[in-house]
Amino acid sequence: MHERLSFYVKRDSFLHRLNPLTKLTLVFGLVFVAFFSPWYWTPQTIFLIAIIPLSFLGRVYREYFGAAFRLILPATGFLFLMQAFFQPIGTVAIFKFWFLDITAESLAFAFANASRIFVMVSSFTLLLLTTHPSDLMSDLTRRGLPSQFAYVIISTIQIIPQMQAKAQTIIAAQRSRGLDTQGSYLKRIGALVPLVGPLVFGSLVEVEERAIAIEARGFTSTRVKTSLREIPDTGLDKTIRWFFILLVIAAIAARIWL
Amino acid sequence: MKIEIKDLHFTYPGGVEALRGVSLTIEPGEQVAMVGQNGSGKTTLAKHLNGLLQPTSGSVLIGDWDTRKVAVAKLAARVGYVFQNPDEQLFSSNVGVEVAFGPRNLGYSAEKTEALVKDALALTELSDRTKTNPYDLSPTWRKMVALASIISMDSEIVIFDEPTTGQDALSIARIARVVAELKKRGRTVITITHDIDFCAENFERVIALSKGQVLLDGPANTVLGQEKILAQTYVDPPQLTRLGKRLGLKNTVRNQEEFLAALKKQ
Amino acid sequence: MAIVKLQNVTYKYPLTDTPVLSNINLDVKEGEFVAIVGPNGAGKSTLCYTLAGFIPHFFKGELEGRVEVAGVELKSSALNEWVRNVGLAFQNPFNQISGAKYTVFEEIAFGLENQGVPREEMNQRVEEALTMTGIRDLADRSPYSLSGGQQQRVALTSILVMRPKVLVLDEPTSQMDPIGTREVFAVIRRMAEDGMTVIMAEHKVEWIAEFADRVVALKDGKILLQGPPSDVLTSRLLSENGFGISRYTSAARESLKMNLWPKHLHLPITLQEAVDGFGGKK
Repeated sequence: MHERLSFYVKRDSFLHRLNPLTKLTLVFGLVFVAFFSPWYWTPQTIFLIAIIPLSFLGRVYREYFGAAFRLILPATGFLFLMQAFFQPIGTVAIFKFWFLDITAESLAFAFANASRIFVMVSSFTLLLLTTHPSDLMSDLTRRGLPSQFAYVIISTIQIIPQMQAKAQTIIAAQRSRGLDTQGSYLKRIGALVPLVGPLVFGSLVEVEERAIAIEARGFTSTRVKTSLREIPDTGLDKTIRWFFILLVIAAIAARIWL
Repeated sequence: MKIEIKDLHFTYPGGVEALRGVSLTIEPGEQVAMVGQNGSGKTTLAKHLNGLLQPTSGSVLIGDWDTRKVAVAKLAARVGYVFQNPDEQLFSSNVGVEVAFGPRNLGYSAEKTEALVKDALALTELSDRTKTNPYDLSPTWRKMVALASIISMDSEIVIFDEPTTGQDALSIARIARVVAELKKRGRTVITITHDIDFCAENFERVIALSKGQVLLDGPANTVLGQEKILAQTYVDPPQLTRLGKRLGLKNTVRNQEEFLAALKKQ
Repeated sequence: MAIVKLQNVTYKYPLTDTPVLSNINLDVKEGEFVAIVGPNGAGKSTLCYTLAGFIPHFFKGELEGRVEVAGVELKSSALNEWVRNVGLAFQNPFNQISGAKYTVFEEIAFGLENQGVPREEMNQRVEEALTMTGIRDLADRSPYSLSGGQQQRVALTSILVMRPKVLVLDEPTSQMDPIGTREVFAVIRRMAEDGMTVIMAEHKVEWIAEFADRVVALKDGKILLQGPPSDVLTSRLLSENGFGISRYTSAARESLKMNLWPKHLHLPITLQEAVDGFGGKK
């Protein structure tokens, strides 16, 4: 059975000790600044002065860089290419690729966009690496978030590794029926149908059963919930939250007035 | 065709050594049950038989095919593997299409596929439900659809992974009938099972695994009588075997017929 | 004193015409252990979900008749209050792990957090529950690193800690290997010995024979037969209707025909009874 059903890595670090809402505010702060700041090189700067240091502050640099190279970079790289080739901005082509014209403007736009997405995904990754879903859920619920909403977040975080494990079994089962998962691209796409059906259905069944299980544990109770773990909220937390809120306001203001 | 396993070692990527030197031969037409506690290596061993897992060292030969050299999809022509959970295989909206999936993947002609499907459905008592959506069937019947889907591939060797989990008595009897019919047709039937009574009543040869090695391998009557050794891998003997032993019956009995015969003799 | 009362309960799933439960009348006394047997599709799970309140509140559909636990009627209750009285555990242990907690200790406390129990009391009750079900050594492990049998015991402990009045179990060992089965039944036995009212749907006849005070045989949504295990599990009605019966019972029945089983003796449902009967004890 898989040990970890979330990205959370249990460690003691500055980031780990921060209140979950603080980290959430921090992440949203970075994302908003990346998207709203009028300065072109904002995302890259955020990466250098915020993302990298934070990964060290959270002692999760190895996991973060692993995820960055294996997932985030390829994904945003793909996005960059798509936008560079298919976004019709500008008129002067720098070079031609087959029948597509690539302009300086579209390259610049695609790069800016991809960088912002990179920062966004990186920030959330850091959040997930250093925050236990349970703590995040408890803290948000305590502050008034409806528990169903919190649970949707939790189960979504879990669903990916769960579906991965299930997908492996389904692939094995269908291969055992002669399904060729290694042939041409066309074949591989055709091979998806017998894989997706059982995956989706099975996952739905699991989701339903889990909903019943947590209902049986009083999850939808209307009484005020308590928390086993103490989730501290210190003065430092509050200060950091205010700092980022101000930063976001500054970024929005800069965008409007500059 | 023969199954030859030579000094098989397998270590999972996480480092767990699941098989530590297993060597055995299964002749065509044998009915073999593999028993042992979770983690003993029985499922790992079974997954080597259709190529889903590749040996870390040692070899597995299915007839003249070395599993390290033949793709899983191709090995499926010789080895059918029925997974434990039918919901991890069923995807069609129609039982007939579902059961035809295997033979079609193997490249059989339309006529041959139709014949194989018809036969498989008859064997699993699903002939009148060809057009039904598998998900409209109860879990018990979905299990039969999964069985039919593998039988239709007409492989010489069929592996059942925990076929009786969650099934009721009627369903287990149905599955036993399928096993009997496959036996009549000369197929090699291998099962991994925790249900020792099901094992005793339907399989001639029992292999007990423990900690990645073969603990016992022999005729069911011999193996199932070895209570103390089986206990090492947390396997309890079948109900009637236990009863026979407690009553002091000379031979190890493994089903009702043998029990009553032995009782009469006394 | 009947703590569970079912009167003329009939139920149809949404958009279906055939009732899955028909006219069920069942009273369960406090502290009683009732086993429900029946072929797949007989309505065992449906009955379990009804007792646990998920029918009709979660699954909707048409529920007729009266369901009462500890004097409270189901239809007029909210599900989140009903679950305080009736605990539910089902087949798949993996899906009963909330996924919201990092250790077994926290997982068990989850239900108490939802109930708003103060922290100190929570710690105490979780400790008690862990000791009672014998899984103290698993307290710091991740729920996902456990075997099926261990996970199921955690699920049971998580329900037990909430102190329900009735425990409903839907085939709790069907996905388990023999070790897991033994472990889970050991926990259930302890809960029953402690006075818990247990209603359990199960196929494994040998275990039912050991635990149950009463067996209810369900077929096609109706109660075919109910009574003490030694009566119900040896009844011809069961074998004629496709129920699984113990091999001891079946062997003894055949032996009776050949005069190898004492005529006056009740058919056996456990190994010991079979040994005694065949061995010539009276």
